[in-house]
Amino acid sequence: MTEYSQSNNQFAVELHGITKRFPGVIANHDIELLVRPGTIHAIVGENGAGKSTLMKTLYGMHQPDEGTITVNGNQVQFKTPTDAIAAGIGMVHQHFMLADNLTITENIILGDEPVDGRGRINFKEARARIEMLMTSLGATFNTDTNVSELGVGQRQRVEILKVLYRGAKILILDEPTAVLVPQEVDELFTTLKRLVADGATVIFISHKLDEVLAYCDEITVIRQGTTVAHTTPSQVNRRSLAELMVGSDLPDPSGRETKIGTDVRLQVTGLNLAGEIVGAKLALEDINVAVHSGEIVGIAGVEGNGQFELCESILGLRTILSGSISVCGQELSHTETRDRINMGLSYIPFDRHREGLLLDAPLWENTFLGREGNQSLSRGPFISRTKIEADCRSIIDRFGVLTPSEQVPAFALSGGNQQKLVVGREMVSDPKVLLAAHPTRGVDVGAQAAIWGELRHARDNGLGVLLISADLEELIGLSDRILVMFDGRMTAHLDPATATPEMLGTYMTGEEQGAAQ
Amino acid sequence: MKFFKSLSTGQRTIALSLGFMLVLSIVRLFTNADDLTSSGTISSTLRVATPILLAGLAGVWAERVGIVNIGIEGMMIIGTWFGGYGAWKWGSWAGIGLAIIAGSLVGLLHALATVRFNVNHVVSGIAINILAAGTTEYLSIIFFKGQQGGGESQSPAGKGGYGQFDMPFLSGGRIGSWRSPDMMGWIEKKHNLPLLPDLAGFVRGLCSDIYIPTIVAIALVPITAYILWRTRFGLRVRSSGESPQAGESLGVPINRLRYQAMAISGGLAAFGGAYLSCVFTSTYRQGQTGGQGYIGLATTIFGNWTPFGVFRGAILFGFPSALKFRDEKNVPALLLVIAVILVAASIVSLLRNKHLLATGLLIGAAVSAATYFLVDAVPQEFVAATPYIVTILVLAGAQQQLRPPAHAGIAYRAGENH
Repeated sequence: MTEYSQSNNQFAVELHGITKRFPGVIANHDIELLVRPGTIHAIVGENGAGKSTLMKTLYGMHQPDEGTITVNGNQVQFKTPTDAIAAGIGMVHQHFMLADNLTITENIILGDEPVDGRGRINFKEARARIEMLMTSLGATFNTDTNVSELGVGQRQRVEILKVLYRGAKILILDEPTAVLVPQEVDELFTTLKRLVADGATVIFISHKLDEVLAYCDEITVIRQGTTVAHTTPSQVNRRSLAELMVGSDLPDPSGRETKIGTDVRLQVTGLNLAGEIVGAKLALEDINVAVHSGEIVGIAGVEGNGQFELCESILGLRTILSGSISVCGQELSHTETRDRINMGLSYIPFDRHREGLLLDAPLWENTFLGREGNQSLSRGPFISRTKIEADCRSIIDRFGVLTPSEQVPAFALSGGNQQKLVVGREMVSDPKVLLAAHPTRGVDVGAQAAIWGELRHARDNGLGVLLISADLEELIGLSDRILVMFDGRMTAHLDPATATPEMLGTYMTGEEQGAAQ
Repeated sequence: MKFFKSLSTGQRTIALSLGFMLVLSIVRLFTNADDLTSSGTISSTLRVATPILLAGLAGVWAERVGIVNIGIEGMMIIGTWFGGYGAWKWGSWAGIGLAIIAGSLVGLLHALATVRFNVNHVVSGIAINILAAGTTEYLSIIFFKGQQGGGESQSPAGKGGYGQFDMPFLSGGRIGSWRSPDMMGWIEKKHNLPLLPDLAGFVRGLCSDIYIPTIVAIALVPITAYILWRTRFGLRVRSSGESPQAGESLGVPINRLRYQAMAISGGLAAFGGAYLSCVFTSTYRQGQTGGQGYIGLATTIFGNWTPFGVFRGAILFGFPSALKFRDEKNVPALLLVIAVILVAASIVSLLRNKHLLATGLLIGAAVSAATYFLVDAVPQEFVAATPYIVTILVLAGAQQQLRPPAHAGIAYRAGENH
């Protein structure tokens, strides 16, 4: 897109022709990246496009096979992160590198402690330096508290302090907003703007296009291991940027052509569930939901307002207080989870790592999970590995899971591909009802489009879907009806044709309550 | 409760000790078991507790750096043998020195297995225990068999002793050639007063007839705390046990730290073993440790992975054994002490809304008290089991507050965790 105009200003970071190979894969090739000092420079790309590999190269966590790295005009070679730190580069990792049981001060000074001659830490000096940095960051902490007591946003602030404490002028943030709630995202960017105003340079890795367009100065797009475009937010919009990332035209979120069926697939009536503590208020109060065949019913709500409890109640993982749940007209109250699954209930869980996958197990074992009773995958009383592997391969093909084979462990896949695998497993056995909790959380636009397509396809074939999501665009785009859940109750009933994200937001925070059902 | 929580670990230790002392004093007045708090009992407690204390500190060093050390028992066994050998050949101090060197090497072996080869920590630890028992048996046959006083399962007597220390004025120590008055000893004999003779016995026990190695071991408690919480080395050790990834990403040499801390851990455990074969007795005997390494590891946990906590735990284990050593007639009084402690623990659990636990503890107290009033003599086995029973009960009450190092015992490979 834009060509760089050669100016007198040298670049803060220059990468030329960077190639990095791992056994069997080329993670990066022919990377060209130019970052101007005093800017927030976004690096966008799909999951697995090679963004993190590139940043690890820049931070000295591994060495490139080809290419040059230039920092502030000097060509450098980083053997370890320590070299990168010495050159003024700091990295805020996606998964925080903090020790919970150490204090904020201890976490920040670790590895670079101010000491007297005998190795005794000068905590007074350390605190003074941290206080100064906190002022420039606009943060306030009691630096003697343990990190375990901090929230996610505050932990990230500590990570940034850690990097600044080491005198970093170039900050790499690896998907920093993945774990933050919207207000924290705002606070983060306020902080970053402050730092940039003080002369720092920020390299910001993300696949969330909205925040990239809203806050960053320049954008470099990475696709399949190489840089494919350099642009600025004023030259692109959300859609064109997404297409640059994916490398092809995105399918339109078209409306539906099929009709909602008449038979009720899932019926929840007057469901009450006791709270965690005896005597506390109900976790779910008088929940009524009906999902017809060929219908997607969206449940909007801030997480923790009863969505998780609702799913677990329907699955039979919790004992309900009163009310009834039925699938295809069959009352479930006294059936076990296994029987409910056999009756055609399927579940895409909230957290794929905790509930969806065995990370250390190969993919074929993962796609077999929950389908142990499936006769087509067994041979007499034994499971048939050949059949399961073939079944797994067909899921991989059909749902476009990017993986070398069905034998690799689940942790080797990127988040989007793990999610596609889970979605595939839950949909391949043609369930009657699907509980889909955050089906596209943490996946990139390409995988998101694929999962949405699968959901629509299954719906058109008669599947009833209860869709729980925090992504309002997803809810409005997919659902036939939207229910809002607040504080364990259904507080509003909206038509996605007229609903706007703002409207949903108001209902979700409980500011307003419409009549449910 | 709130007030107690506001205290530092050190202050809590003092508060708890004073409370314990009060309980003992009341029970002593009630039962006339004067030996319960005599200076002899206290100094005997210290002697019994020292090997456990050292094993516990070994546990603190290992787990704080992130390595579970089940091998403490084996390292102690190595310590007993080399202590016995060194004391026999060159004298008692050489015995301790040799044991520490040998123990450090075994500690390094455990580190090599767990860090370099990523062996499961428990498996490696158990291997070390078996290896240590076998090796010492074999070495005894080679070096001790046929020697004067030695044999397949014991060493010849060690040479030389250790200086003993008496504090002037407090317990009648000497200044030059003049023997100072024994003030605490005088107060201690006023048995019908409450608390005062107990405190005097306590102080006198701490500063009379005390072996220099005991003083060294006790000094290691604050020294360990200082190193772990005030120095760069200590902070890095703790970070390695909490989150090695964090340390590594900041250039902390995690693997080197683990070797260093394990050498310290092994050395401490072996010092504990040598204490048994050089100080407590003067010969190495096979099976001398009798599982004290495991008890030490229990104090590591019971002490919440802090040196002062370990000290507390070691005393708790040492006290009943010391009473037994001195005179078995003391033991019934111990039942009453347990009853009072259980009542206190029950009240604490009640305040924390743990009704079931509180009831259980109360029943325990009732049983304990009833046994005291109904039974004349307590079987030997009960005496041996007492510290364990007390610990299980106390652990049940304190368990929710314990916080192990987050990364202890988890496999870690440097450079692969980003």
